[in-house]
Amino acid sequence: MKKLIIVPAYNEEQNIEKTIEAILHESKNFDYVIINDCSTDRTRQICEAKGYNIVNLPINLGIGGAVQTGYRYAVKYGYDMAVQVDGDGQHNPEFLDKMAEYLEKNNFDMVIGSRFIKKEGFQSSKLRRVGIYFFSKLIKVVTGVTITDPTSGLRMVGRNVLNIFSRDYPKDYPEPESVVAILNRGMSIAEIPVIMEERNGGVSSISLKKSVYYMVKVSLAILFEKIRKEI
Amino acid sequence: MLNIRTQIVVATVLIIALVIIINMVRQKRLELSYALAWLGVGIGTLFLDCFPQVISWLSKMMGIASPTNMLFFSGFVFSLIIIFVLTISASRNSIRIKQLAQEIALLEKECKERKEF
Repeated sequence: MKKLIIVPAYNEEQNIEKTIEAILHESKNFDYVIINDCSTDRTRQICEAKGYNIVNLPINLGIGGAVQTGYRYAVKYGYDMAVQVDGDGQHNPEFLDKMAEYLEKNNFDMVIGSRFIKKEGFQSSKLRRVGIYFFSKLIKVVTGVTITDPTSGLRMVGRNVLNIFSRDYPKDYPEPESVVAILNRGMSIAEIPVIMEERNGGVSSISLKKSVYYMVKVSLAILFEKIRKEI
Repeated sequence: MLNIRTQIVVATVLIIALVIIINMVRQKRLELSYALAWLGVGIGTLFLDCFPQVISWLSKMMGIASPTNMLFFSGFVFSLIIIFVLTISASRNSIRIKQLAQEIALLEKECKERKEF
C-alpha cells in the first residue's frame, strides 16, 4: 500500500517546516508532497533549502486546484491512498495511521477526520460551527447521509476517489461539494474522531467578508452537484 | 417607419464597425470563430436598417410601438448572446489554464528529479 500525504501550501513560511517535520516523525508509512500554490513568501525557498519533496505551481490556483495537483501526483506515481494535511499545522499527523487502517480494513472510499464526533480539541468559532452544521444538514437532505464535519480538510481517499478527484475537483472551497459528489456516485464515506489544533500562523482562506459568498457558493454547489453530469 | 436620419447614422456606425472587424480578422488579431458572431450581428442589423419594412412588420408582430425601439431591442439581444458566448469561453479557458498549470508543475517536478539522478 503506497500512501501519500498531500500538503497544500500557500504562504505558509511560518508553519511549513513544523508541519513537515511532524509528518516525518509521526507518519513513517506515508510519503508526502507539498503543493506550493505559487506562494509569494519564502515557502518555496524554505522547502528547497530543506530538501523537502515539493511541486511548485506556476500560477495560483486556489486550494481546490492545489489539492487536485496532489491527487494527480498520486495517480501519476501509483499511490493507493492519499490524505490531505493542511500546511498551517491544524491537522495532527498522529491520526493518519488510524485513518488509513480504518479505510483499508472496511474498504471505505473516503475517511474524514471529524472534530465534532467527540467534540475535543479546537472546535472552530461559534459562527463557523453554525455554518458547518447547516452544510451537514443540507448534505443529509440531499444524500441521506450524515456527515458531521463536511468542511474538514483532513480527508483520506482510496484509489477510486483518487481517480475521480484527479479528473474533477472543485476550484474553491472544495470539501462539502466533493463529499456530495462522492456520495452521489454510491461510494462510501466514514468519519473518525480527530483533534485539530488552532492554526499557528497564516490566515484562513475564509475571512468574515468572504463567508457570505462562501455559504451561498457552497450551498449552491451542493445542490448543483445533485443534478450534475458525471465527467 | 424609421427616420431616414436614424437609418443613416445606424448604417454608418455599423459599416465602420464591420470594416474594423474585417480588418482585424485580416491581420489575425481577431480569431474568425469569435468574429463570426460579431459579423453576423453587424450584417443582420445592417439588413434591418436598410429594409425598414421588415422592422415595421416585426415590431407590429411583437407589439412594439416604435420600429426604432425594435432595432435597438434586437441589437441588445444580439449583444447579450455574444456576451454569454464569451462567458462560456471564459469558463472553458479557466479550466484549461488550471489543467495546464497542474501539468506544468508535475512535469517540472519530473524533470528536476531526472536531473538529480
